[in-house]
Amino acid sequence: MKKIFLTIIVLMSLCISSQSQNSLPNLELKSINGEIVKLTDFGAKDQVLVFSFWATWCVPCINELDAVNEEYTDWQEETNVNLIAVSIDNARTSSRVKPLVNGKEWEYEILLDTNQDFKRALNIASVPYLIIVKNNKILYKHSGYTPGTEIELYEKIKEYAQ
Amino acid sequence: MKKLKNTLNKQSMKKYFLIFSLLVSLQITAQQKWFSGSFNSNSQYYVNDSKTGDFTEDDKFRSNNYLKLDAFYKNFTFGIQIEGYAPQAILNYSPGYDKEIGLSLFYANYKTKNLDVTVGNFYEQFGNGLILRTWEDRQLGINNALLGGKIKYSPTQNIHLTALYGKQKKGFKISDGEIFGFDSEINISEILKIQESLINIGFSAVSRIENIESLNTNFNPNTNAFSGRLNYSKGNVYTNIEYVLKSEDALVENGNVNTDKLAKGNALLFNMGYSKKGLGIDATVRRLENMNFYSERDKYGKGYNQQVVNYLPSLTKQHDYSLANIYVYQAQPKLSFNPIGKAGEIGAQFDIFYNIKKGSAVGGKYGTKLALNYATWYGLKAEYNIVERTYTSEFFSFGNKYFTDLNLEIRKKWSKQWSSIFGFTNLYYNKKYIEETNGEVKATIAMAEATYKFLQKKSVRVEGQHLWTKDDKKNWLAGTLELNLSPKVSFFATDMYNYGNEIKKVHYYNFGGSYTKNSTRIALNYGRQRGGLLCVGGVCRVVPESTGFGLTLATTF
Repeated sequence: MKKIFLTIIVLMSLCISSQSQNSLPNLELKSINGEIVKLTDFGAKDQVLVFSFWATWCVPCINELDAVNEEYTDWQEETNVNLIAVSIDNARTSSRVKPLVNGKEWEYEILLDTNQDFKRALNIASVPYLIIVKNNKILYKHSGYTPGTEIELYEKIKEYAQ
Repeated sequence: MKKLKNTLNKQSMKKYFLIFSLLVSLQITAQQKWFSGSFNSNSQYYVNDSKTGDFTEDDKFRSNNYLKLDAFYKNFTFGIQIEGYAPQAILNYSPGYDKEIGLSLFYANYKTKNLDVTVGNFYEQFGNGLILRTWEDRQLGINNALLGGKIKYSPTQNIHLTALYGKQKKGFKISDGEIFGFDSEINISEILKIQESLINIGFSAVSRIENIESLNTNFNPNTNAFSGRLNYSKGNVYTNIEYVLKSEDALVENGNVNTDKLAKGNALLFNMGYSKKGLGIDATVRRLENMNFYSERDKYGKGYNQQVVNYLPSLTKQHDYSLANIYVYQAQPKLSFNPIGKAGEIGAQFDIFYNIKKGSAVGGKYGTKLALNYATWYGLKAEYNIVERTYTSEFFSFGNKYFTDLNLEIRKKWSKQWSSIFGFTNLYYNKKYIEETNGEVKATIAMAEATYKFLQKKSVRVEGQHLWTKDDKKNWLAGTLELNLSPKVSFFATDMYNYGNEIKKVHYYNFGGSYTKNSTRIALNYGRQRGGLLCVGGVCRVVPESTGFGLTLATTF
């Protein structure tokens, strides 16, 4: 027990000290069409990017991407934001990604993180999880989704788009 | 002895804290952030339950803890993962996770445009994972990362080559089996400048060496697996095919390795689909024959999913609702003669996703989304010679029916405030062949949930489910109430009630709350866990029935 408390204290001090930002990991992932794309190639200078981690079997993830999809055209017009939906589906369910995305008429770019290299590089414990990125720097991280969280997300996007 | 253990622990603790304090002080002085990490803790406090029985094992409080740290310097990345199971791991984790605190993983990576070299522990997947996948799942207690070296080289953007060597992790130790692997992936369409379509081909090979004593001169301690794959897409159509051959290996039954009986294995995976805006159709066919592949042969049949080299998930819908997760299919790749003859599985899965347009009569103001899924799995049709331990199988014919399920899901948003999901499942589960016990189950499940959103960021979710069956434990009723006070604070209460069970009618209730801020999440719950299979991503872990408090903490920094 003592060890656990000590560890937590050390971690808290780490959190306080980590005010500066991490860079986007130097990784390549497959697009939904099977092309290999570099993460750092996304986005023009000063463009706000959102990488949203999801899976076909994760109900809150789909709720989030459905909710954002309804507003997405407006968001893009106002802030030029680009949302990239990163599927963490493994070989069991990854074949369902493409038909699901099309069936739902999602407008996002889709990446396949089949063996969870991207997820692991960002130390993500569970999905849904998203990061906001600008000029390859990770500015914001958020875990979980409940209805209405997309409003908070858009406030953040607007803040960073200025 | 115990004293010695304590002193050792104290020494290793001091060492780790030294590393931490060093990191903290270095970061405070640095401008650019050069490290990242995460901490994840899952703790349980088990209590006695007057309905389901007392907790009879040692240590009522148990906790699994994971600390991961990565550091970056130019083209280099360094990382470690420290795990702690204090005073011991949560119920039914592999006995290999037996340290109060210990170094679990470490690696160093160097990466440039064409070259990617890793020394230490690493994760990798070749193709669909049919011959190699190393991965981690903390809920399942799986971490089969290889310890060794990996080189990835891309001479051009269209050619990717990987070579690796290592030994798999088994808890805090490493396996006796050695793994050699090679993978290549070539983008043919780019090389041949084909504009409209995309063609990728891949070839991989994996060799596992485990020297064990054998009097059989035909027995080879090396087992080799080869795989070829093709990925093609043009316009709205796509297809993906992979074929695997595995060389002769010893027969393993109930953890006993029999080097006198040798058999080859093979696998075929074929997937194709069509999709355009508003419609997606996908079909997958898979056949597995004697495809179990372990670093140490005798680990097969010992449970805990340790030292598995390849990844053979069940190809069925992965359910998110509790009652649909009672009868979950598990892939049946193994060859065995005892207690029943089995040589593998054959089957298919189909998916259709369809969006009924906004503004149409059925679609309503926001559209209506439909998802239909059907999966059917059979044993291979084969003749078994139980005495000689030999068999002959047919390639494309079906043996005993193992599992089928049909799922329909309808998602409908009614207004800015109201949205709902309806689900229907009909399934057949052959317990005799899947669990090697007896009986079969035919069940129907209906599910409905509604979410009401108010004051922009607050919402209530109500969910009800019912499972009808005349078999096994009979009918179930389940419900969930979820209250999201803000994106940060949320509470839930769930119950699963096996009211149809004549012997033991039990409520599996669970309630709790969570607090999330940015990437930190703390959740507390109290409840009664249903015993049986806990499945994540097509892999299952047996969990015993238990009651108690749970605390989960996850943060990244």
